[in-house]
Amino acid sequence: MSAVQDILVFFQTTPALDAQVVAWARYEASKGANLSNLVEESDPPYANAMAAMRDGWQVIQMSELKHRSPKEGYELGPLPYQIVLSKFNELQLEEGASA
Amino acid sequence: MKEHLLNAKQMAQFVASGYLKFEDMVPKDLCRACLEEMRHNQGYLAVGTPFEETWPKGTALGDTFRLPQVQGLIHSLVGPDPLYDHHAAHLTKAEQTKGPNMHQDSVIDFRDHYFDIQLSLFPADTTDEMGGTFLVPGTHFRNVRTGEIAIYHHIRGKIWATCPAGTMYVWNTRVWHGARSNYTSQDRFMYKLRLNPTQPQVCNFDTADLADPEIGRILATNHGWEGNEHRYELMQRVRLWRFVSNQPDYDVGERFMRRIEYQPGEAAG
Repeated sequence: MSAVQDILVFFQTTPALDAQVVAWARYEASKGANLSNLVEESDPPYANAMAAMRDGWQVIQMSELKHRSPKEGYELGPLPYQIVLSKFNELQLEEGASA
Repeated sequence: MKEHLLNAKQMAQFVASGYLKFEDMVPKDLCRACLEEMRHNQGYLAVGTPFEETWPKGTALGDTFRLPQVQGLIHSLVGPDPLYDHHAAHLTKAEQTKGPNMHQDSVIDFRDHYFDIQLSLFPADTTDEMGGTFLVPGTHFRNVRTGEIAIYHHIRGKIWATCPAGTMYVWNTRVWHGARSNYTSQDRFMYKLRLNPTQPQVCNFDTADLADPEIGRILATNHGWEGNEHRYELMQRVRLWRFVSNQPDYDVGERFMRRIEYQPGEAAG
């Protein structure tokens, strides 16, 4: 089996690599292309991006700081910052697929 | 009606967290009849018409949303003579799984000092494994375009409905939410009804405890996901609290609203 890219996204309220992770997403292509059953997780897989880096994840995107205007400085919307991490893992058979 | 109104602390909790939960809101026999009617749910009624005229009478669901305790809840949040917006009977079938589906209902909505409510009735016991609706408390000031937030698979502070039959949740329709997997052999139902106000939502609740200092602490609730954004969230909660409680100068703690409102020239008069 070949190695394929897995992606881990950390959503944060400050952009630093040691900042607290408040939301997260896993796109683990090595396990399958189907996200039809989300299993609850109460904590992120790592405390912060640096902890993930120590486990072999590579940072492929960091967020820039944002300029703030008087109008937009207080607006709320999506969580403001994200870190995208990448790691190559062995391709696994998808659940239900035959070898 | 007055005995069934929310008090000021409950209203503050709704402003801060965007939802309230009430167990034993609907009697069990009425729940069973509702469940049966929900299996034969039809489409929307006349959207945007007076609720009292539009909502069916002489049916279990008709009676449920006219129970005095439900009417008191509705009045507290959207005031008298609300409009029917829409309803739906949500079914998560036995052993039906769900992927990431966090969303904000309808379309992005920037109306200031305004909110619709959604009443969610759970007519049967809903266990953790049955996948009751999840909510992310406090997210109702964060406008997003419907399903784009499905990218947030997991978020700190997420809660979900685990409750006995007859429980009703009421929530600000802008709260981020979604459905969860049902790992049991039983279908899981949730009936929702959305209502609009017809007048400014000011002091429709019981204001007897308006001066309770606990209200400031409730407004400052940290749900877990806010992080560095907490004080910006608090400012939005204070703005809405000022409006619904008719206290235009209200502020809490370090008084962040004052930070942006204080003008020494005006103060000098």
